[in-house]
Amino acid sequence: MNDFTQQIQDIASRLLDNGQVDVFIAWHKGQQDFQVQPYFARSADEAQNIIFNDYSIHNLSNSLLKFRDSKEKIGIVVKGCDSRGIIRLLEDNQIQRERLYIVGICCPGMKDPLQAMRDELGFNHKPESTELAAKCNDCIQPNPVIYDELLGTEQSPRVQDRFARVKEIEAMSADERYQFFEETISRCIRCYACREVCVACDCRTCIFDEMRPQWVGRENNTTDNLMYHIVKASHMAGRCIECGECERVCPVNIPLMLLNQKVIKDVNELFGPYEAGMQYVEGQKPPFSMYEESDPDDFL
Amino acid sequence: MSVENNNEWNPKIIVIACNWCTYAAADLAGLNHYEYPADIRIIRVPCSGRMDPLFMLRAFNRGADGVLLSGCHPGDCHYGTGNYYNRRRQMMMKRLMQFVGLEPERYQTSWISGAEGSKFAETMHKLVEDVTALGPNRKLRDER
Ligand code: SF4
Ligand code: SF4
Ligand code: SF4
Repeated sequence: MNDFTQQIQDIASRLLDNGQVDVFIAWHKGQQDFQVQPYFARSADEAQNIIFNDYSIHNLSNSLLKFRDSKEKIGIVVKGCDSRGIIRLLEDNQIQRERLYIVGICCPGMKDPLQAMRDELGFNHKPESTELAAKCNDCIQPNPVIYDELLGTEQSPRVQDRFARVKEIEAMSADERYQFFEETISRCIRCYACREVCVACDCRTCIFDEMRPQWVGRENNTTDNLMYHIVKASHMAGRCIECGECERVCPVNIPLMLLNQKVIKDVNELFGPYEAGMQYVEGQKPPFSMYEESDPDDFL
Repeated sequence: MSVENNNEWNPKIIVIACNWCTYAAADLAGLNHYEYPADIRIIRVPCSGRMDPLFMLRAFNRGADGVLLSGCHPGDCHYGTGNYYNRRRQMMMKRLMQFVGLEPERYQTSWISGAEGSKFAETMHKLVEDVTALGPNRKLRDER
């Protein structure tokens, strides 16, 4: 890990020094080890603050959206899942490839900062905990799929059965399922953290901010929450890159990936194998921007 | 929403119909005096491609007991491709709605061309039957 830090610092200083990039996006140290934060270095000096450790879990590709209207050149560090986010943005024409210098890291798996906080502080003190974050246990793409420079050695996918949770729910009866989602999703406090952190949520005006017409009620009640989650999941169809950030940042542990993975599973079953953001082919369209005449249907 | 003063419950069913086919089929059904239940309310949209899944969600949210989306047969879209795009969306959406616990009979889709007045009437009969058998819908309904 520490040599990653050194390597990234060196690359960042080099790029910033010779003007190849105007800003370099990585992480810097927080008060505690597990409090690393996204960081935007703008000079070789600032690049010395960069750090990469077990908790560099944030998907930084999302922060490219801050630069979509500028002309600045950007250096960025991505892990496997994050790199798929960059392809997502390229596909949506949110950023231009020429403006990016991508440093890819073959990701050994990250730890959950929140879990670390619980483990290291307070009564439940067990700082030796080495468990990977939930999203990293289910990782299907630890190696970057797009990069200019690659660090580390290739890792193998850690996922066992990524649709296990989905299948569990599918096996329940309709009423049981509704009850399950009603109970789970009524906890949501509509903080929109899951939307803000999502790289597939790149709309300039989100439908949930739309006032006229106001499609989804803003009240924090069970049905409005359900509406929010169903609409969000349907917007993720063919676009979610499974970085798991939405679920990780949720303050009330809503299993957002359950709905996302249900949609991924269905899209794969219905319209053939597709994983969002795995490969950038110019002009290639995501599944809901195209069709086949032979698509299956059960229309009356 | 008015206070219901009769004890008999009748389903509220929203049919979202494409202007160029299903809406015309409803017209034709009327012209030919085909009877169909009065529990359906038709909303006309310009094309299947306009059928945002939000229409369906919103309908349930506002008290519908069943929703049908209906457009032109594949290959017959007035604008060429709207129904193909919509088909993908609806297939995904129907499965997602079943996943969160909605009964499949409440949310249906169909192809009805402008010449199929009798198919329109039949489909409405079947739809009303299906939804009536399930009873009033509580799921996703606005709490307020
Ligand atoms: S929905 Fe969640 S997992 Fe999917 S891209 Fe967005 S943040 Fe990542
Ligand atoms: S929730 Fe939907 S409308 Fe809002 S930003 Fe995400 S994809 Fe766009
Ligand atoms: S992060 Fe969690 S609580 Fe916040 S809006 Fe998303 S699901 Fe709801």
